[in-house]
Amino acid sequence: MKLNITRLTKNITQNYYIKAPVLSRCLSTQEAIERRHHLFTLEKKRQMESVGRIEKIEVRYKGVPKDCTLVMNKDISTPFDCARHFTEWHMNTSALALLDGTVYWDMHRPLTESCTLEFQTFSVHDPLHVNLAFWRTCSLVLGACASVAFKDTVPVVLHSFPHPNVRSGSFTYDIDLPSLHDWKPTEQELITLSAEYVKIIRQNLPLERLEVGEALAKEMFIDNPHKSKQIPDIARNHGSVTVYRMGTHVDISKGPLIGNTSQIGRVAIPAVHKIDNVTDEDVTHLYRFQGVALPTGVRLNHFAFSVLIDRAKKFNKSQRIRFKTSTDVSKSEEERVKMNA
Amino acid sequence: MNQADVSKLVSKLRIKVRPNHRNLKNPKGPEGRLDKLRKTVTGLVKYERIELNVNRADEARQYAERLISEAIRHGDCHKPTMDVANYWLLEKELIHKLFKVLVPRFENSKLSYTRLINAPRAQNTRNSEKVVLELRDNPYPDLMSKQSQDKYLIQNVLLDAAKLDYRRAKYAEVAQKMGKASNGKLNDEVKEARNSKESMSIKETKDPIENKTSGI
Repeated sequence: MKLNITRLTKNITQNYYIKAPVLSRCLSTQEAIERRHHLFTLEKKRQMESVGRIEKIEVRYKGVPKDCTLVMNKDISTPFDCARHFTEWHMNTSALALLDGTVYWDMHRPLTESCTLEFQTFSVHDPLHVNLAFWRTCSLVLGACASVAFKDTVPVVLHSFPHPNVRSGSFTYDIDLPSLHDWKPTEQELITLSAEYVKIIRQNLPLERLEVGEALAKEMFIDNPHKSKQIPDIARNHGSVTVYRMGTHVDISKGPLIGNTSQIGRVAIPAVHKIDNVTDEDVTHLYRFQGVALPTGVRLNHFAFSVLIDRAKKFNKSQRIRFKTSTDVSKSEEERVKMNA
Repeated sequence: MNQADVSKLVSKLRIKVRPNHRNLKNPKGPEGRLDKLRKTVTGLVKYERIELNVNRADEARQYAERLISEAIRHGDCHKPTMDVANYWLLEKELIHKLFKVLVPRFENSKLSYTRLINAPRAQNTRNSEKVVLELRDNPYPDLMSKQSQDKYLIQNVLLDAAKLDYRRAKYAEVAQKMGKASNGKLNDEVKEARNSKESMSIKETKDPIENKTSGI
């Protein structure tokens, strides 16, 4: 089946006149997910094989139980592999790795050169970047959750999620539901969404990172008109497209993300709002899914959490700018990144 | 003046020592008490963090402190100290740990070598109080983290933003009310002029806010 699909894709993409729409009609949401997963696996394998002769790097670890030096494999070993040399606690609680005291690195991204390494948990002294990574991951998981939560008859087209802003009170994902004209989720539907979300995070899935070229990214998201529209912009700005895989779900994100979904603790999806003022003409019915979550191990009074839920119900409008043209979006995002940096 | 300085003869402990010891009631009497305490001290040196009943923990803590301070004072070439270590540590490989790991760790420390922390206790139970006895600078995560006060933690950032949001909403509400109250008065006057002939009683019961909504 997978082979057939890839063959079909090749034929179609070679033909200039018939493009994505044909295939997108052929693929159901589930098939498209499986196909992306398959392509991701192949590309990851290819990149692993292209490493060639294994070189050693020195990783100087700082932190508990004591500072030490590890000799790891270049382009193969990840910070998570380093954590495995210490304790289970290091593996479970580290959300991000800090290289040379400046660069925030994913736990499952191979190290490229000798460096110093610190693990960042959610309770480090200045957890700004960990919080951003957490919020970004929550958005990504929300996309995965929405794409499995609906019935097969309802097509789900993921659009994008904006730059994380914890102070806005909710993480969001903008999702296009072409077959639902004016959907107002009932209380029960929202509970179901939250339950699906919890089901995903309970699987303890690692978040794997991969940098792929523009062509492959387009191939991966050929069924998704919005993403395939965004890919050229991203590729132009960053040189390549960064995709993440969580279980079988593959999505585009700038990163970095936290190491594992088990680090997401209490979560609620309290609201889905319809967005009407979209300038993009391809989008038919865009909905903004909103949620709020806390890391594992954070104990918060149920009343305090209900306050957070009530706030997350309000429409998260801080990123309205997102709905201008795609070039504006990338510009404004860059500005925002600069402001944060 | 010829009296010896006591603190040079006996280690001065950095913890509070009770004037009388606890008997730690058991069938074997004082010997059984010491057996219990030897087991506890051995466990403490081995695992570095143990959970116990409060009596036993506090009693064992004093012996552990004394043992470590003797080891620091005299080192491993001192026969009496070695005998003491041999007596208190039931597993003999821990004697190496005492002199090679714990002595370097605590040599320059100005604090006590152990910590005694109250453990949580289930509500409405009659079990005796539990405590956690640990060696300082152990490799485990800190038990007494005060970091939940850090304003940059994600839960605090969220709550802080929610608080600000709530306050803004309240200010806006109050401001609107004030505006409405003055508007309402105006509306009242206009209506008074208009409805004075019709009915006096309804107008008096009406709220200024209601007037405003009906007026618009």
